[in-house]
Amino acid sequence: MNLLEMSIAEPFRRFFDKAMIFLPNLFMAVLILITGIVLGIILKSLFLKAFGEIGIDKFFGRLGAGEMMKKGGVQEPVSALLSKLIGWLTALIFAGIALSTIEIPAVEKLVDKLTHYMPSIVIALAILFIGYLVGNFLGRAALIASVNAGIKLSGLIGKAVRFTILMLSATMALEQLGIGKETVIIAFAIIFGGAVLALAIAFGLAGKDIAKEFLEKKIKGEEKKDEIEHL
Amino acid sequence: MQEAAIDYESFFLEHSVVPFKLTTPYHGIPGKGSAFKIMFEIAKALNVKACAVVDSDLRSIMPGWIDLLIRPVLKAGFDYVAPLYHRHKYDGTITNSIVYPLTRALYGKRIRQPIGGEFGFSGKLAKFYLTKDVWESDVARFGIDIWMTTTAIANNFKICQSFLGAKLHDPKDPGKDLSEMLYQVVGAAFDLVETYSDAWKQTGASEAVPTFGFQYAVGLEPISVDVDRMIEKFRLGVKELMDIWAKVLPEETAAFLQKIVERDKEEFHIADEIWADIIYNFAIAWHKKTVSREHLLKSLTPLYIGKTASFVIENRDSDAYAVEEKIEQLCKVFENKKTFLAEKWQ
Repeated sequence: MNLLEMSIAEPFRRFFDKAMIFLPNLFMAVLILITGIVLGIILKSLFLKAFGEIGIDKFFGRLGAGEMMKKGGVQEPVSALLSKLIGWLTALIFAGIALSTIEIPAVEKLVDKLTHYMPSIVIALAILFIGYLVGNFLGRAALIASVNAGIKLSGLIGKAVRFTILMLSATMALEQLGIGKETVIIAFAIIFGGAVLALAIAFGLAGKDIAKEFLEKKIKGEEKKDEIEHL
Repeated sequence: MQEAAIDYESFFLEHSVVPFKLTTPYHGIPGKGSAFKIMFEIAKALNVKACAVVDSDLRSIMPGWIDLLIRPVLKAGFDYVAPLYHRHKYDGTITNSIVYPLTRALYGKRIRQPIGGEFGFSGKLAKFYLTKDVWESDVARFGIDIWMTTTAIANNFKICQSFLGAKLHDPKDPGKDLSEMLYQVVGAAFDLVETYSDAWKQTGASEAVPTFGFQYAVGLEPISVDVDRMIEKFRLGVKELMDIWAKVLPEETAAFLQKIVERDKEEFHIADEIWADIIYNFAIAWHKKTVSREHLLKSLTPLYIGKTASFVIENRDSDAYAVEEKIEQLCKVFENKKTFLAEKWQ
């Protein structure tokens, strides 16, 4: 083996050997990526149709999701967003598979980490979304019930119920992501406990006359109620 | 002649001192509708020609009531006998302001007490009721009365009403939640509007139904009403629930509600046109599921209370006939606006 062959031809040969291993993998990765993108587009349009058929926009509209999105500047309906999300997730999963096909250790490591973290992100987002919907629904139910009971602080009650559920879901989402696990739970407990204590003190100090009146009514008998028979 | 007029046999009528009671085990949704279902089952099993049901808390029930509820079925071939009473002018406000005008406008029969509580029906109709799969819905509870009446009308059964006199009953249960009652009754009525949309779209102007029984004036117990508290609840509703109503009501109706809260008690008045608009728009929102159905109807409570307060203020010095005339006017407004409902009902 002469010097020329060693210094020039050998690296080229090694490069060629590596390229011969790498190129089919790259080709396969591109193919997988394209398949993922195409499948994502197909799934997106299929799910968009299916969501339209089952009236998912109406359902989320009733739960207040449409309002939430409009407030956040999102004009698209929930069905379009969900089907887009499904499309993107499909493309992302295929992109992950494609990257791991290339067999580059650094990329493999990164993909591995992302793949492991991805479900947590999806679950955390789902928790936040469901929390928002449940918070809106129960907050409105509490508001209506307290208005019908004639409670002057109905608005505050509705907001408190909504805020508590939102906070609970945010805590659960952060816990799912593993961000400051203990800190978040302790912070939630402190804030929630503090709010309850503050309310108890506020009611105790500010509402002692009301409490007295309430107890007097209970013990001495209620004031005369309307006698209308509604039915 | 004098002897012939006296029916001596009636002096020697024998009454059983041991009442006949039949009890059955029951599993399912507890409620009046579920109890009625058992009555229908028994009527079917015994193959009865006619059957009558009455509320259990009545104080003014007379033996003649059973005759008035049964005889039109047995002797005149009717399938459904609704009650007709004289009630206090402030009583039966859900009936007077929602159920009667809506039933009359949509199905074209002037049944004055469509949710009266006392009914006579034929064995044929009882069997027909049992063919319907509604016993897990609100029909099983407060919704049964409107369901029986509407089902009978919309399926072309022969309908009449019998005058029973005064309706007096035990004091109501204070634990009974008005919004829950309103939700069940109005929800059942709106469900029926959905079920029978083809029938009511084809129905023209309303007509009177045959009425049995001799009508006479009756004395009624006075009723105490706290209008100030009612208006206060209405104001609270306008302040807190306008976000929900705005999704359901036209802009001008919402603007009117915002304006009326500033008025004094004596000027507090919700016109019939506004009220008909509110009910029809709530029916459309129910149908289109614009808002959660339970939230929608429970949010109707402050509006209903406001309308009731307006009715009480308006009729404070009116006698029963004048009040009946006002209800008649409200019904006509509902009938005139029916085309609006039909147009929006897609």
